[in-house]
Amino acid sequence: MSAVLEVEDLRVGFGELEAVRGIDLRVERGRTHCLVGESGCGKSVSALSVMRLLPRRARLSAQRIAFGGNEIGGLDERGMARLRGDRMAMIFQEPMTSLNPAYTIGSQMTEVLRRHRGVSRANAAEQSVAMLERVGVTAPSMRLGQFPHQLSGGLRQRVMIATALLCEPELLIADEPTTALDVTVQAQILRLLKDIQRQMGLAVLLITHDLGVVARVADRVSVMYAGQIVEHGSARSVFAAPHHPYTRGLLACIPVPGRVRRGEKLGSIPGIVPRIGTGFSGCAFRDRCAHAIPACADSVPEHVVDSDHRYACRLQPGWART
Amino acid sequence: MTWAIEATGLSRVFEQRQGLLGAPRRVLAVDDVSLRVAEGQAIGIVGESGCGKSTLARMLLGLLPASDGVVRIAGQDLRAMGRLARARLIQPVFQDPMSSLNPRRRVGDIVGLPLRAQGVARSDYRQRVARMLAQVGLTADMMGRFPSQLSGGQRQRVAIARALVVEPRILICDEPTSALDVSVQAQILNLLMDLRAAFDLTLVFISHNLAVVEHIADEVAVMYLGRIVEHGANERVFAAPGHPYTRALLASVLTPEPGLGLPDVPMGEGYPDPANIPSGCRFHPRCPIAIDICRTQSPVRRSVECHLAPEAAVS
Repeated sequence: MSAVLEVEDLRVGFGELEAVRGIDLRVERGRTHCLVGESGCGKSVSALSVMRLLPRRARLSAQRIAFGGNEIGGLDERGMARLRGDRMAMIFQEPMTSLNPAYTIGSQMTEVLRRHRGVSRANAAEQSVAMLERVGVTAPSMRLGQFPHQLSGGLRQRVMIATALLCEPELLIADEPTTALDVTVQAQILRLLKDIQRQMGLAVLLITHDLGVVARVADRVSVMYAGQIVEHGSARSVFAAPHHPYTRGLLACIPVPGRVRRGEKLGSIPGIVPRIGTGFSGCAFRDRCAHAIPACADSVPEHVVDSDHRYACRLQPGWART
Repeated sequence: MTWAIEATGLSRVFEQRQGLLGAPRRVLAVDDVSLRVAEGQAIGIVGESGCGKSTLARMLLGLLPASDGVVRIAGQDLRAMGRLARARLIQPVFQDPMSSLNPRRRVGDIVGLPLRAQGVARSDYRQRVARMLAQVGLTADMMGRFPSQLSGGQRQRVAIARALVVEPRILICDEPTSALDVSVQAQILNLLMDLRAAFDLTLVFISHNLAVVEHIADEVAVMYLGRIVEHGANERVFAAPGHPYTRALLASVLTPEPGLGLPDVPMGEGYPDPANIPSGCRFHPRCPIAIDICRTQSPVRRSVECHLAPEAAVS
């Protein structure tokens, strides 16, 4: 399988804070890789690092950031600007803040094509209408003349997706794309993304806190905690046999109609996420973990569940079965 | 029987100005809603954004006057009640504790303020505040902190402590866990269930998350465009939803079960303009099973407001 995006040992820091502490990611053509975790775990920062959209004060380093087999870690801003919006695109949680309120939908969409493809205004408008139609926007030609505030949340997200797909990118990074939407619209937008992915062979890196979304769309999952990936594998394997205590804790927190009895206590993870500074060692989850022993403060071994399902914890594979 | 909450014919109209000179639009946010909640029950109110669920909550709390209709709390007309009397009976918890807690007051003052307003002596109230904080799982040393020094979950605990410190009968929670991470959401839901039992509370729980409502509530009211289109016991609504909108909402819930794929939600997408409510059944433009009568005639006002509701679902 060809990897569209390969990241090795990505590290990002802000001043004293270590936001991302050596993560690996691999996103394949036509596949969805979900990066899941709670707020502050570093999932969005990781995505922004790939797009090189971090603030200037961030310290970024990586063994390798390869896009379509080529190292892009060393590209300058002009080189990255050529890739962004063309071969790799990103959509964000709140389309109201990522669309410019002062420009029409048409001018924001055609700008992408005119910049990357150098097509005429009329041609760009034509392609934009076609793309809006493809993502299920009704009355697409009328939308070009509208401003973001005139659209509903679901429509704005469709416009964002259409804009991101205009140049038929190979990689789409979606950062909580449905979190601000109503549940009914969420399901529809996720279906749309899946359909488009199938048609275009798009590699999708989906960032979310919602394990429900992950279960339904992911091919691969990486669970992130305090700047590290604590468990990763095929979605099937991770959900069938979660091994890291954090993954198991997260799953137990979610009420599932029909599975968790009403009024029964939900599982919960005590305590709060630690802030990780320089010089931190051992397992970052140990203060909240029921299985922690003193040795967890020293080093964390990585265990293999099956060929591509791994987790970082002292507990042996299969521990949860007993 | 006295109802903890008895709302009759409740409506709220907002006038929305269109530009400087435009004629105002009348938005009917809540449209002739009647709702009764028995003492000690937990009712969940669900619906999409803009359906009027928060407007309804604010009217029940007396924070927003109704355009029409009456709210009775424990048998008394809300309009005839003074602020202090009302506050002793019914208290809110809102979604975002960062904006509902005064950032320049310390936790001790925030939780103590309702007691001071009720005229509790200073010597008494510090102790009551400390006891209340312990009940929501906060230590007494939190009293000196500012909201900005707390985590999201701790802030929501403070908001809950502030609501319960006067020992009200009714707690209205408007999306209390929507701004929180899942692990913290679980902590807060567990806490609310404990406190409900400890304080013998009537709970109104507003949420867009059906799984959460299913978990915490005894009965569910589903709102659509300002009306409660389905209301029934939790078990019945979740097992056999009578309204096509309820079915669509339930179908949209993404549970963490891999292999199921994404549901095909049987519903048109366009949420209608609340200033221009469709004729007949207000759900008909999005309804997968609408027939002619739905376009012209409003459904009968009953527990499932649908022309085509199965009899079994209607009480």
